Amino acid sequence: MTATSTRTPASAATVAAPTVRRAAPPARRRPRWNRISIVGLIFVLPAALYIIIFQLIPVIYGFVLSFTKYSPLSRSGPKPVGVDNYANLFTNGDFGNALLVTGRYVLQVLPLTVVIALVLALLVARPFRGVSFFRSALYIPHIVSLTAVSLVWLWMYSQDGLINELLNAVGLPDQAWLLHPDSALNAASAMRIWKALGSNMVLLLAGLQSIPKELYEAARVDGAGRWNSFRYVTVPGLKPMLVYVVAMDIIYLSQGFAEIYVLTKGGPLGSTTTINYLIYTQAFQYNQLGTASAMAFVLFALIIGFSFLTMRSLTGRQK
Amino acid sequence: MGVIASRHIRVAAALTAAAVLVLTGCSSPPKSSDHGSDATGGKLSVWFPGNNQTEIDLVTRTIVPAFEKETGATVEVTYVDWGDISTKLNAAFAAGTAPDVFGHGPAAAADFVANDRLAPLTKDVATLSKSDRDDMAAALPGGQVGGVQYLMPLSNQGNLIMYNADDFAAAGLDPDKPPTTWPALEAAAQKLTVRDASGAITRSGLLLPTQATGRQQSFAALLGGAGGSALNKDGTKATWNSAAGKKALGYFADLYNGPHAVSAALGQDYSNAPTAQQPLVLGTASMTMLNSTAMEAIKAASPDKDLRVLPPLKFSGHDPAALGGAGPGLMINADSKQQKLAWKFISYFIDPKVSAQYTQGIGAVPLRASAAKTAYVKNDPIMQAFLKAAPDYVSNPNVAGWVQVRDILDKHLEQALHQTTSVKDALDQAASEADPILTANG
Amino acid sequence: MTSTSTRPPSIHGHQSGHAPGERRIGSTIVLIVLSILVLVPFLWVVSLAFTPEKDAFGSVSLIPAHPTLSNFDTAFVDANLSTALVNSAIVALITVATNCAFAILAGYAFARMRFPGSTALFYTLISTAAIPVSVTLIPLFLMARGIPFAGGNDAFGHGGSGFLDTLAGVVLPYIVMPLNIFLARQFFSTAPAELAEAARMDGAGEWRIFARVYLPLAKPLIAVIAIFSFTGVWDDFLWPLVVTSSPETQTVQLALARFLASGNVQYGPVMAGAIIATVPVLLVFLFNQRSFISGLADGSVKG
Repeated sequence: MTATSTRTPASAATVAAPTVRRAAPPARRRPRWNRISIVGLIFVLPAALYIIIFQLIPVIYGFVLSFTKYSPLSRSGPKPVGVDNYANLFTNGDFGNALLVTGRYVLQVLPLTVVIALVLALLVARPFRGVSFFRSALYIPHIVSLTAVSLVWLWMYSQDGLINELLNAVGLPDQAWLLHPDSALNAASAMRIWKALGSNMVLLLAGLQSIPKELYEAARVDGAGRWNSFRYVTVPGLKPMLVYVVAMDIIYLSQGFAEIYVLTKGGPLGSTTTINYLIYTQAFQYNQLGTASAMAFVLFALIIGFSFLTMRSLTGRQK
Repeated sequence: MGVIASRHIRVAAALTAAAVLVLTGCSSPPKSSDHGSDATGGKLSVWFPGNNQTEIDLVTRTIVPAFEKETGATVEVTYVDWGDISTKLNAAFAAGTAPDVFGHGPAAAADFVANDRLAPLTKDVATLSKSDRDDMAAALPGGQVGGVQYLMPLSNQGNLIMYNADDFAAAGLDPDKPPTTWPALEAAAQKLTVRDASGAITRSGLLLPTQATGRQQSFAALLGGAGGSALNKDGTKATWNSAAGKKALGYFADLYNGPHAVSAALGQDYSNAPTAQQPLVLGTASMTMLNSTAMEAIKAASPDKDLRVLPPLKFSGHDPAALGGAGPGLMINADSKQQKLAWKFISYFIDPKVSAQYTQGIGAVPLRASAAKTAYVKNDPIMQAFLKAAPDYVSNPNVAGWVQVRDILDKHLEQALHQTTSVKDALDQAASEADPILTANG
Repeated sequence: MTSTSTRPPSIHGHQSGHAPGERRIGSTIVLIVLSILVLVPFLWVVSLAFTPEKDAFGSVSLIPAHPTLSNFDTAFVDANLSTALVNSAIVALITVATNCAFAILAGYAFARMRFPGSTALFYTLISTAAIPVSVTLIPLFLMARGIPFAGGNDAFGHGGSGFLDTLAGVVLPYIVMPLNIFLARQFFSTAPAELAEAARMDGAGEWRIFARVYLPLAKPLIAVIAIFSFTGVWDDFLWPLVVTSSPETQTVQLALARFLASGNVQYGPVMAGAIIATVPVLLVFLFNQRSFISGLADGSVKG
């Protein structure tokens, strides 16, 4: 069996990236029903059926609920109220504030996490002795129980905690990290970045592994240095994985809740109240599932919109 | 490699199929009451509001066996901390799988009542002797909604102020005759406050809780001591923006602001901090408001410090007040088919001996006033102080929607404390946001 | 031009003027510093696990003054941790199997075997990940209760308790996680199409093409999905809280919540339990991250 390489002549390495693509994506014609696509449908079916039944139907149920007033405790079930829940969101100052907080949170955490994780992934991609140790060390924040580690962070940030002790040791004054509206979200973001580094690193590691070494060979032979090699081989090769990482991070960060709950309970002065925090409170403390659903679907629309825009800009013409 | 990979898939698929079969078959091991082999006395499901090991041991080893022996019924107990139990209960009620007996904090009772989910306990409480009811008089009202008993508290709780007597003496104050009014307390706090060269407070004279919901609790104590109340009698309108409310909040805000501030670290949650980080232990405060469990832990951590408890305080011309009353307790599901059994189970907890054992095990304030005679209280000045303060406890209102109303008030209190709104505006705005929710109770 | 796969893999070229040895030392130093920084909070978790309860957070020294093993004892005994670990392990391993199987299959098809409507279906499926769990929790709970023929239910799902309080119920939301499909699709979209065409010309069926040609290239993908599926299930609290009631079905996070009682956190056992709970996930990670060793990447071009 012979396979032809898509490698282009050597001089291409010094030219801009697109010609060094190692794999043409599947042609973007409209797909038709044929033997391949039918089998494709069959391959997709188990996962699709499962998700449709156990994830999509609850989502649709939630969407319907967003047009009702419903307490799970109520004996009479959901009461239709039209678009009242959505209309009330417009005048709900807390909701508007939460949108801003969530947006800021995503924008603060996402770029830093991705960039740092990429650096880390590059550092641990080579299989030198002891690389497993470093990979594990960098991944541990992601797997340690959030509640347990939040208690440590809470102490680290407290008036007499670790960070202030270290600052005092070098003569700097205490900071009220979690108590000041200006610094609380930053403090929470720092913890989230710390926690998310590991998972992004793992994904980018996997992405790095799938870039064929021949491309680096070709680039090296053509005289590309480290930076050019990175720019014209690594980054394009990582694009699909980067798209996934960014989309996944947007989705998860927009739903940020647990770390905020432990660190600041949404304060001070609402500066860390994310939308999901409001949603959780509405659903399980105020027993207002209708309002919670409406908030969730507004958030949903924003996540989809933002992810779509980001993915588009990351992948350029191709998708 | 391809062969191995596809074999992996086949193995994975087979594993999955097998696992699914195993899982559905192998749920929790059959209990004696499963699959139709009914015990003579029936089956009772209980979701217990707490998961402290002493609690669990007491319930599992003492109460349940005694109950099962006496009634011939079987009890399934699930322990869930009352902070987590709302989600579980919501799902269960929506699906019709709620237990016969469940527990929660008193603030949640009213919402269950508003949805007809609770069986009233009035008849059952009436079967208790009058001396019993008097004995629990401090706790019972906290479990009532609209004057009807729905929740049977398992303990009392309260917030009092603990002070460092050594600090008092060093500042020229008499630790044996501490202040009894809030203004006098502030004056004392000013003498106790220590500042560094830059004017920042290094030791607060007085700390009241200012974290989320903690602020509302502090405000409630001040409001009570000023003769005010959060809501009107029907629970349909907010009355915290009365003159008493403004006095209370003004006092609270002055603690943190201005050149004569006596408190630092606004918003810090010391109430839930580890004992080694408590301000009284670290020496970063001379007086802090705490519940009994925290006080006991602090005392145990600093045996060399002379730490004492203040009785409830007041503003002159009014009665002393402290936030307190019923702690988390048990309720009966209105749809339960075992309501008599359910009450029988609950009544075990209010038996004097069991109640004393229970509250001692979890370090809570005893349910019964008569517990003053038990060794638990007699040898413990902290417990004595909390028990003695019981008649002055004021509790948060038990009305539907209170959790949301409380959060609204809490949010505006924070703004007033940070001085981003004036005291008057904060209270008025909170009231106007809360009233629509409260009028639904009319 | 053939690739010399015996050369030590390096994604950096050799032109920048630094000797490879120097750069390696530089990178290693950076790695060591970063690793230590990243590990600091975890080191505190470890330290607190060995610190007696009453001394928790008492000092800024990482080494406890009076180290003790009692927290581990408390964690195991009071929280019934061994049962919880087994339950979580069962649920997590099943999740890994189902996700690796179905998500990879679906991702491959979405990438390489598109059919009319597949794009719309793809985006519909993954968009379900953008809805917070607070909204879908109760509907899913209702469905778990109403599974026909389970837990004493009749054909319409009435009468019994369905999957409630069973491990099957705990596993239910995790069988296929939509983002894993997205991940698989991204991964397979970079694989060369020529391999499939060549195999088809040779008369291979689609399954064969998938299993023999593309799947072997997907070891890193399988590793990532395994790691993430395991971790996702292991760390989840809300769904197990709602769907289980008895101690026999408790999962690890539920068991550890035993020590997080309101106003009465038991720091020592929480931290000890967190360490115990971290070990299995770490093992899963260590096992799977071996696939991230270069040397597999040369499989995309044969001959």
